[in-house]
Amino acid sequence: MDTRVPEIKSVAAPEGIEGAGFFATSLEKVVGIARANSLWPLPFATSCCGIEFMATMGAHYDISRFGSERPSFSPRQADLLMVMGTIAKKMAPIVKQVYEQMAEPRWVLAMGACACSGGIFDSYSVLQGIDRIIPVDVYIPGCPPRPEQVLDGLMRVQDLAKNESIRRRNSPEYQALLASYNIK
Amino acid sequence: MLLAVNSSYQPSDYLPILIQFGLAVAFVAFAMIVSHLVGPKRHSTVKDASFECGIESVGNARTPISVKYFLTAILFVLFDVEVIFMYPWAVNFRQLGTAGFVEMIIFMTLLMAGFGYVIKKGILRWNEAVPSQTFAAKPVLEKQPAIAAQAA
Amino acid sequence: MADPTKEESTAAQETAAAQDPTAQQNAQVLALLHSLFGEATFTDVHEPYGLLTVTTKREHIHRIVAGLQQDETLKFHFLTTMCGINYPENLNQELGMIYHLHSLVHNIRVRIKIFFPLADPVVPTLTDLYAAANWMEREAYDFYGIIFTGHPNLRRILNVEDMDYHPMRKQYPVEDGTREDKTDLFFGR
Repeated sequence: MDTRVPEIKSVAAPEGIEGAGFFATSLEKVVGIARANSLWPLPFATSCCGIEFMATMGAHYDISRFGSERPSFSPRQADLLMVMGTIAKKMAPIVKQVYEQMAEPRWVLAMGACACSGGIFDSYSVLQGIDRIIPVDVYIPGCPPRPEQVLDGLMRVQDLAKNESIRRRNSPEYQALLASYNIK
Repeated sequence: MLLAVNSSYQPSDYLPILIQFGLAVAFVAFAMIVSHLVGPKRHSTVKDASFECGIESVGNARTPISVKYFLTAILFVLFDVEVIFMYPWAVNFRQLGTAGFVEMIIFMTLLMAGFGYVIKKGILRWNEAVPSQTFAAKPVLEKQPAIAAQAA
Repeated sequence: MADPTKEESTAAQETAAAQDPTAQQNAQVLALLHSLFGEATFTDVHEPYGLLTVTTKREHIHRIVAGLQQDETLKFHFLTTMCGINYPENLNQELGMIYHLHSLVHNIRVRIKIFFPLADPVVPTLTDLYAAANWMEREAYDFYGIIFTGHPNLRRILNVEDMDYHPMRKQYPVEDGTREDKTDLFFGR
């Protein structure tokens, strides 16, 4: 019988000054940890990738382990816009409107080949990738990607959220990025 | 046995409650102000527009709604308060004696008279038009046979 | 010696076909069409997979569909579908409309095709006969540019409103025109 106790890996604490009963670190790190571990998604599920996302939300793969406990369909209360599925050109202004109505800080995840680049639908009616209309942070290729890959993409967004500086959303680079998409 | 008041409490003994209240308010104010200052914000016409699932919103949200909802709610409040008045009466029933019982009966009779008025007026009728509001119903009913004749 | 057996087998096939209920129904519908509209209005009559298919001209189409719908015995009350088609190699008959009618009472289907030139893509509407024709004609307009005279609301239904061409016509490529990373080499052009 194997009597070895499995080593439980816990998340490492950020750098800071520790003492008896207190821990001091920078505000950026605290805000980063808070944002990364509570990314509330807006599931913009259009096609088959939406079904895969439903499986990821289920108990087996469970994105609420990663803090995405509350998917909201209102952009005002969501952090992460997950575009999952084929976006037609007629749907494009709607995706853009939903993205523009999200509150800062916001991240965008393009799941599946159709959201990343139009997928196999290189046609007159399909938008060839949502990065033609909104800035995308993480792309998950696949048709559809497996739930493990969705979770990997979510973890990459968590890395972005954790390491983002507090002033990034007011910085001129970010403003220029939004201006390049014609988003005020 | 009624509670004994400890007369040796000074007003200054209640200071901790005030401090606790002050700390709670201060924390709430601090969190709101700091997140307002530190957090990113963005204002634009599109962002501040009403959310209508990505499409342009049409019209005003303040349309008039049927008065039956209000009437049901207000009548509930009235009779709920009546029931609340009956609770202390139920607790002190014996001490109040016959006089209290008669007073309570008069109280309930007055409220039941109001309830009878509500029923006779048909205010609680949910499906049909309330009789007091049929000033517009008659012309519509007269038009309907004409529409039915047209469709045939 | 082979000929008599062949004649016998074709005769057997004909009797079998005559007794086949679908063929009988199709013959009945065809007889009705001929009696109402004359034999000359229908060309290219055949029955692929048991579905009676006739080709006619756009001048007659409204009368023919109205006649089929209002016939008391056959009762073609269901316009299953109508779709446009583009055969660029048929000069003067590049565009076409294909109508499928179905009688739910007798389970008979009939397919009517009309063809007309690309330079004059005008067809009378069927919205006064079938309400379903409204959106189906809008789709045919959206994708082929076929104009339906008398349609109450002829505008694009599936594509973006400001699209300026009709995508299903064979002269336009299916692929999105704004991609820069794919060349014609990928599509065998």
